[in-house]
This record gives sequence, C-alpha cells and structure tokens, in this order.
Amino acid sequence: MNLTRRFQRVLQRNLTLEDALPTRMPVYVDSLAYLFGAGALMALVELIASGIVLAAFGPSWYHDEPVGRFFNALHFWGVQVFFAALALHIFTKFFMAAWRDGRWPTWAAGMLAFFVALFAGLTGYLAQTNFDSQWIAVQSKDAINAAGGGSIFNPMNLGQVLTLHVVVLPLVIVALVGVHLILIRRDGPVRPLTLRGEKAGEGAR
Amino acid sequence: MSVRSEQTLRGIPTKPYDLLLEGVLVLGLVSVLVVVLAALFGSPDYPTVRASDVARVQPLALVRTAARMLAGQSDLNGYGPPYTTDRAGAQRVLGVAPANWFGVSDPIRPARDLVLAPLQRASALDPSLVAPLKAFEAAGAGQQHAWARAYLKALGKASVSGGRIVVPSGAYGPVPELMNGMLELGRSGLLAGALEASGRQPYALNPTRALLFFQGPVDHAVAGSLNMRGDSWGISHETGPYPGAWWLWPYTFLYQVPPMVHSANGDLQVVVIVLVALVLVPLFLPFVPVLNRIPRWIPVYRWIWRSWYDRGT
Repeated sequence: MNLTRRFQRVLQRNLTLEDALPTRMPVYVDSLAYLFGAGALMALVELIASGIVLAAFGPSWYHDEPVGRFFNALHFWGVQVFFAALALHIFTKFFMAAWRDGRWPTWAAGMLAFFVALFAGLTGYLAQTNFDSQWIAVQSKDAINAAGGGSIFNPMNLGQVLTLHVVVLPLVIVALVGVHLILIRRDGPVRPLTLRGEKAGEGAR
Repeated sequence: MSVRSEQTLRGIPTKPYDLLLEGVLVLGLVSVLVVVLAALFGSPDYPTVRASDVARVQPLALVRTAARMLAGQSDLNGYGPPYTTDRAGAQRVLGVAPANWFGVSDPIRPARDLVLAPLQRASALDPSLVAPLKAFEAAGAGQQHAWARAYLKALGKASVSGGRIVVPSGAYGPVPELMNGMLELGRSGLLAGALEASGRQPYALNPTRALLFFQGPVDHAVAGSLNMRGDSWGISHETGPYPGAWWLWPYTFLYQVPPMVHSANGDLQVVVIVLVALVLVPLFLPFVPVLNRIPRWIPVYRWIWRSWYDRGT
C-alpha cells in the first residue's frame, strides 16, 4: 500500500489543480451574489492581519496611542464588514438552495464556521478591556451559567477570553473555512434551480 | 479537471475565469472600505468603570453596593452554580437546571470574598480597620445582617463629609467604619487588586470578582446612560454612535418578548430557543420540510441566475 499514490488518486478524483484554482467557470456564475463569500473571506484576512498587529502591541497601545487606536478601528470595522458580507453570503446561498446535489457538508461547514465566528465576536468584545467588555461580561455570564457553561467558559476571565480570541478561535475558524473552501472547489458551483419541477430540498440527500 | 467535476458540470458551457485576480480585487475593495471607515469614524472605546472613579463620583453607590453584600442582599446571594451552592437558584426549563450539572466551580461568598477579604488585606495598611473587622466577625450572621440592613436604610439620609460617609446615629455596629474603609480602599485604586488577590499567583488575568462587585446598580446606571441595558436590546448595542453587534439581534430580541422578558428563567429559555431555532435548524435546514422549500417560493434565485434563464437554457 502506497499512501502517497492513494492520496494522489483521491486528489485526481476530487480536487485537481484546476478545481482548486479554476481558470474556467460555468456560465451561470454571473452575479454579484457570488462575491459575498469572497468578501467575507477577505474581511477575515483583514481581521487576522489587524488582529496580529493588535496582539503584538497589546491593549495599552490600542487604547492610548493614535496609531494603536487606528488599528483598533481597522479591526472594529473589519468585523462589521465581515459579518455584513457573511450575512449576505448566507442569505443568497439560502435562496439559491445551494445545499442541493449533495452539498450539505459544504453548507454545514460554513454554518459551523459562522457559529464559531459569533463566539469569536463575543470574545473580541470581551477582550477590548473597556466598558463595553465590562458590561457584556457581566451580562452574558447569566445565559452561559444558566446553560451550564459557566464551569467551562467564564466571560469575566480575561486570560481565558484573550487566549480564546487571539489563538484558539481563529485557528478553528480558519480550519472550518478551509474545509468549506475545499468542499466548494471539489463540488463546483451548484446548478441553477430549474424553473419548474425541481424541489429545492432535493439534493440535500 | 477532476472526475467529480466533469460529472457535475457535464453539458454546462464554461467561460474564462481568474480566481486569484477575483480574490485580489475583492481584498482590495474590502481593505479600502475598512480603511476609509476606520479613518473617518475611528472606533468606540468608552472607559471601564473603575472603583476609584465610583468612589470619587458616586461614593454612596460604592458603599451601598458593599453594604448590600454584608446584608445578604447581593444579586449573587442565592445565585446558584457556578458561584454558590444554592441549587434552587439555578434557572430551569421543564424542570431541568443545566447549571446544577457541573456544580460550584468558582465559589463566591459575596460578603466574605467581595467585602471582608479586601478589608482584611487593607487592614495591613490601615490598622484602624482591625477592631471593626474583629467586632463584625465576632457577631452572628443575624446580627451582621441586621447591622447592615439598618445601615443601608440610613444611607438614604447619609451625607459625605471629609471624604467619609456620615449617617444619622443608629444600631449599625462596626458597619460604618467598614464601609468607610471600603470607600477609602476604592478611592486609593487598590480595591480591584484587593478583590483579586488570591495569594497563589502574582499575575492578574482574572478580574471576575472586581467585575462582579460592580455588576449591580453601578454598572446598570452607566449602561442605562449609554442605552445598553437589557430592555434596550442590551449587549448588541455599542457605546456611542457606532454600529453594535447587530448579528446578535435575533438573540437579544428574544429577551424583549414574553415569557422571557419577565421570567426568572429567561436566560435559559433564550438559550434553549437559540440552540434549537438559531443553531440546529439552520445547520440542518436542507432537511427541514417547508423551510427547504422557501427558496422556491421566494424567487430570489431568478435574480441571481437571470442571465442563465435569459439564455433560455
């Protein structure tokens, strides 16, 4: 058994270089709706880049120094653009019934990435170390505690919040987005809904 | 092209495409948008509520917060896991209280940990606190609560003189001295440190107790002035004229409607609804009857693929 050869065959069957980095696209890929996912992805790139700078220089810098405050603003508006693009992406993929023809794993990986991104957003607000963080920490703890999560995650524990936001959650998001992108490129863009006859739920199977 | 792609796209005409160029263009567009927004509007950064500020601006609020803890009237009294052993205080839905499953992982005795322990530490620097602390500790719980309740009532007629809270004479035991000690500790800027000092490690990475100390009326007063209280859709608001976490609107909306808005179990009810309606249903949406037909009924897809349909294919 040659593992390398087996892996080559898996790639040949599922994801060639042309699939991963396509130079041709089906003609129906012809709408702004196809750019929202790319917008969310590039906002994520911007968030990671500005986040690395914020993490490198630390809270005093981004609270007190003009350049630090500007990078803080880049991160803040990056989050707004990220979630706006993501909301449009999910909205349009829903109305395209993009889960058809066996694409539920792609849908699920995207949804899981979205849920983790929501948690990353919460930890980001908590990690700001300003009144917003203070207020959200004491307010959000009640729902977390009521659900039994208080013994695992304490939104008032800055050490836990900061490491989750800066290290753990970005890695999880990048991994899930990676799976999402591989599945997208493996399966190609979903065919347009037929104007009559086809059920939107078909293909989830 | 892979075997799988050939099967998927068989019979579909294709056109030239450049994935990397598209990515670079979108990255450029997003970057310009973010830089312009950041340069024009900056970002919100309302400062934290610190004990030293509260002691200076609202000394009565700080003292009232501490006295409520001594009187057993803190929000943390009877809270239940993970802070206290009051299992009956845990929120329930259909008789199930998930908070009780994991027990008390972060034990907090409000009077002991948030008032008496900081004062004990402060007494090393201010020996005048030693005698009042001993007198308070020597009394029974009933007497301690009675002193603190009487003092809380008297705070309605209190004045601030020479940096100390002065109340009409009454049966407060050593509580006035202790509360003026808390005020002094707050004013000095040492209260947060005294609340967190665990004796186990020199690093302050977990300000849970300092945050819990002001979570009641003090934080609510500041949040109210910023339109951030729960009845104003709470944590989805941002300080100042900035967009907040609008993606949490479906979550904060649930706190505005019955039965959650008035329920003692409102948090858990919201969590259950969120887990079912906003997590499980979207995740498995392709398999949910009716919902997976909506794209057919609301033909947004006709706009997205209009050029394809115009081809008459």
